Amino acid sequence: MTASEVVRIEGASRSFGDVKAVNGLSLTLNAGEVMGFLGTNGAGKTTTIKMMLGLLRPSEGSVVVLGGDPTDPSVRAKIGYMPEVAYYYPYLTARELLSFYGGICGMDAKTVRERTDELLEAVGLADAAKRPLKTYSKGMLQRAGVAQALLNDPSLLVLDEPFTGLDPLARIHFRELMRSLRDSGKSIFFSSHELGETELLCDKVAVMKSGRAVYQGPVRQLAGDGERNLERLFLDVLEKGGAA
Amino acid sequence: MRLFFRQAKALVKLSFVELWRRNDVFALLVLAVALMVPLSLSSPFGAAGASRYLDESALLLTWGFSLVIALGTGARLFPPEFESRTIYPLLAKPISRGSLLLGKYAGAVAASWSALLLFYALFAGSVLLRGGSLSSELAQGVVLHMAFVALAVAVALAGSLVTTPSANLAISGIALVSMFFFGRRLPEYADAVSAPLSWLVDLAYAVGPHAEFFDMRQRLIHGWGAVDAAVFFAVLLYAAFYVASLLGFAALALKRKRL
Repeated sequence: MTASEVVRIEGASRSFGDVKAVNGLSLTLNAGEVMGFLGTNGAGKTTTIKMMLGLLRPSEGSVVVLGGDPTDPSVRAKIGYMPEVAYYYPYLTARELLSFYGGICGMDAKTVRERTDELLEAVGLADAAKRPLKTYSKGMLQRAGVAQALLNDPSLLVLDEPFTGLDPLARIHFRELMRSLRDSGKSIFFSSHELGETELLCDKVAVMKSGRAVYQGPVRQLAGDGERNLERLFLDVLEKGGAA
Repeated sequence: MRLFFRQAKALVKLSFVELWRRNDVFALLVLAVALMVPLSLSSPFGAAGASRYLDESALLLTWGFSLVIALGTGARLFPPEFESRTIYPLLAKPISRGSLLLGKYAGAVAASWSALLLFYALFAGSVLLRGGSLSSELAQGVVLHMAFVALAVAVALAGSLVTTPSANLAISGIALVSMFFFGRRLPEYADAVSAPLSWLVDLAYAVGPHAEFFDMRQRLIHGWGAVDAAVFFAVLLYAAFYVASLLGFAALALKRKRL
């Protein structure tokens, strides 16, 4: 693993019984890059993300994140994760949620308070900070999810379907937030079905099909001469099962 | 170590917030007040010894409600996390599964104790309202009751990781209530029946959660005095050993749980 590599997955496979959810996957994400992780439902995206977070161990191969094993809590201290389904403790307010996760990250109370104020403002939840999460809309929960992922100022952000449930305005806001995070040197890995957003945000993409990466490369290369959009190319790649 | 304590503090706080924002604890408290206040104001048949029956009823209520809260809290520690998938962002943070288990257990016990102490405050109020006095061994009874609550939470927590929520509540509830009422009779019953049933009864006595060890109601009601210190500490040691065994089992179950 080179110094600039944030994620290095080599020949990783993960089976559940007879089903091979991920099959010999290899990919790398470098510092400051934004990588889109595409694929149909059941292609192995979520299993890959779980291996990156140390929630699952690969059956074969290796997953190295930020130079270490992600099952080690000290490695996870530098990762921010936002799940696809943004369900959090419904009886907590957004402020209490961030305070709770701050404690879990081992942050001191003062830092948690400061980060909480900053993040609630950044994701546009400052006015709703004292409302229980059960009163939040799906988009608001998604924004609370972004805030909790950023709480520990992670070097790597792993986002599972981050655009789900966001209205157009929130999407623009979120896209700008992602760009500013990338500009501040953070690496971002996100899975998505939103090809338009992926095209706008990513430096490179990986396309998964049946547990294998059937394409990996820069978005610009995938888009070629600019006459084809990502959607067309995504379909081509999936149909051919190989490079576009 | 500092990381562990900060994590434990966050999990304990979460348990408190969850318990006290849930309506069922308040419902139990209102029910306890509704039952204890008339009990404390009544003087059935004008009999002098009737207050013992009132104390017994109030203590039985306290035991019953504390068991409901302990089982409910312990059983709810992990299944909703898996069901609503909040376990993923939680375990993606720098916390080990062992720390999560211990922190959640500590939180559930502390929250259940807070409710228990409130029930005892109600009981004390009910005794004082009737013009009675609080015996010195009440403190010993409360400590043993707290140890029982810690054990009940551990039983429900361990069960919640290996079975469905409803089956867990039924099995844990039946095991604890059966031992509470019939535990002391099991050796006699084992002698009275033939093998292999006697072996099963012996096994239940050996491994079952001896809720009856913690029950000082009769001593409190009849003024029989405190239990011997050696017995008191032996019971606390039993609770600690039983809880440690259950948490060890729960840690293995959580480690093997597929995410």
